[in-house]
Amino acid sequence: MSAADELHEFHYRLPQRAAGQRPGSHPGSSLGAGQEFVSHMSLYDRPDPRRLDLRASVRSTTGDWLVRVNRQRVGVTVQLLVDVSASMGFGARRRKIDVAADFVESLARSAFRVGDALGMLAFDQRERADLCVPATLSRGLGSVMADSLRQCTPAPGGIEGLEDALQQLIGREALVFLVSDFHWPLDRLGAALDLLSHAFVVPVVVWDPAETEPPPYDAIAPLRDAESSVRRTLFMRPKLRTQWRDAVAARRAELDAFFSARDLRPFFIHGAFDAEAMSDYFFEATS
Amino acid sequence: MTFGAIDFAQPWALLLLPLAALPLLRRRRDTLLFPTLDWLPRDRAGRIAGFAWRALAVLALAGIVIALAGPGSPETTVTRTGRGAEIMILMDRSRSMDAKMKPSDWRTIDPHSLLYQVDSRGEPKSAVARDLLSKFVEQRPDDRFALMFFSAGPMNVVPFTQHDAVVQAGITAGGLGRGLSDTNVGRALTAAIDTFTERAYTGSRIILLVTDGGAHLDEPTRKRIREGLQANRIALHWLYLRTLNAPELDAEASAPPPAAEGDGMDAIEARNAYYAQESIAEVSLHRFFQSLPVTYRLYQADSPEDLAKAVAEVGRQQNFPLDFEERVPRQDHSRLFFSLAALCCALLLVYRSLLLRSWL
Repeated sequence: MSAADELHEFHYRLPQRAAGQRPGSHPGSSLGAGQEFVSHMSLYDRPDPRRLDLRASVRSTTGDWLVRVNRQRVGVTVQLLVDVSASMGFGARRRKIDVAADFVESLARSAFRVGDALGMLAFDQRERADLCVPATLSRGLGSVMADSLRQCTPAPGGIEGLEDALQQLIGREALVFLVSDFHWPLDRLGAALDLLSHAFVVPVVVWDPAETEPPPYDAIAPLRDAESSVRRTLFMRPKLRTQWRDAVAARRAELDAFFSARDLRPFFIHGAFDAEAMSDYFFEATS
Repeated sequence: MTFGAIDFAQPWALLLLPLAALPLLRRRRDTLLFPTLDWLPRDRAGRIAGFAWRALAVLALAGIVIALAGPGSPETTVTRTGRGAEIMILMDRSRSMDAKMKPSDWRTIDPHSLLYQVDSRGEPKSAVARDLLSKFVEQRPDDRFALMFFSAGPMNVVPFTQHDAVVQAGITAGGLGRGLSDTNVGRALTAAIDTFTERAYTGSRIILLVTDGGAHLDEPTRKRIREGLQANRIALHWLYLRTLNAPELDAEASAPPPAAEGDGMDAIEARNAYYAQESIAEVSLHRFFQSLPVTYRLYQADSPEDLAKAVAEVGRQQNFPLDFEERVPRQDHSRLFFSLAALCCALLLVYRSLLLRSWL
């Protein structure tokens, strides 16, 4: 997916108005050049003769020259929060972190197209300063971010790292993509998400098919937890496969319930990033 | 090197025993990475399998190392008690033994044609004797037998043993080839007596002399035989296989020397008759045996049936408990450990074939 011709961009809009002065493509709350009419103002209050509305001026009872005032669409800051803990290093065909890098590349291209600034924060046990990219409008930054993700070595991590990285985003208005596999206890995640109340958060859940779907044949599987190195041997058999699938479905339902309680909808990536699905996600969110 | 009842042929190999702990090292390579175990079910069968392969690997390595050290139970001697006697079979291997015996119905045959009948219908004495002896050995599993052939000199074939198969093989070997030239009963008897002298007295002893001819023994030989038999308390049984025209050891031959003294005609006659008999080798031997201070029995056999009766008679004579020591050679147990290790390795192969080695 790293080749440019295979790179798919997606369309996204903020479903809410964003404050901000920089012109862009998201619905904003500031006045300026835009399609969305707000009201008429006196030419003396708003000396912009290009927007002079003759018909409205004639109709005006006060005899003022009226100028159309429109709302300007704004660009927002898009922030990536990428989990690079050891569990993201798992993957049967491709590591989940590589899939996340694909997503980052696609997002960078999409963000550039609509003129949004893109920044990245990564975390494992704590914030990874080496992977931090401040929000910029630079075009070529997407592949740099993606490559730094692909080349980083995942280390054991947890929700503490997320809490650490979130400190930089508190109170900012932004579109935040939280990319992780969410193998955390959810009670602390709620408190962390509350810090991002001004931002629109998209939880991107990256799961590998190998972790959601048990091996199809009976086998002995000696497993080691990526984060804690705890070992457990499983004797794969039909009963265990059912339990496995049930556990995955239960976790998914748990995540859905957790996010919908905060008016969020998780976006699931299974094995490979699908840009069209992401476009659909935003169409549904904005409609 | 000995530990209790086990000794090791190459004890230095035990230095490798710590290698058996290698499978207990927990290596990352043995496991598959998984993002989170929290959502996987707990599996008792899996835990058992995870424990079992380590145990099998440890067992396999330990088994190989112990087998390399060559464990075994050391050589021991076991005291066994048997019922029966120690019987030394002293068998004539001379050419005369190849002669035929009279057929069983010889009494009804015309004496003039007896010679021809014997030649055509009789069986060789040695073959009959061997058959019967082999049956005799077979019927008496509790006895210990030794086998010695003799002609001009003694030939020790089987020393005293309770393993009948060896004795049987020795008896069979007596049938190979033709007989040898000479018959020296004196040397044979002394040699047979000598085999007893170094043995502890553990039960009744018999020398079973199987021959068809006698011998004139000189005085030193007679003395040695007499003293030897007496010192070792050996009973002497003589299976006399009588050929056609061979002298019969009847009452006349067994008679004691005439007490008749003086120069009377009758007395001289009796003495002459006695000494005339004495010149016959068989009679001379028989009379010498009779004069021995130990138990002596004569079994005279004209035909195979007589011989069978005689052998059965010997069998009836002796039935006393007998103590003897048997050497049990060192038993090597490394094969057992190797097979244990091989079994463990086979089970490990099964485990490996069941193993999930990659997620793809």
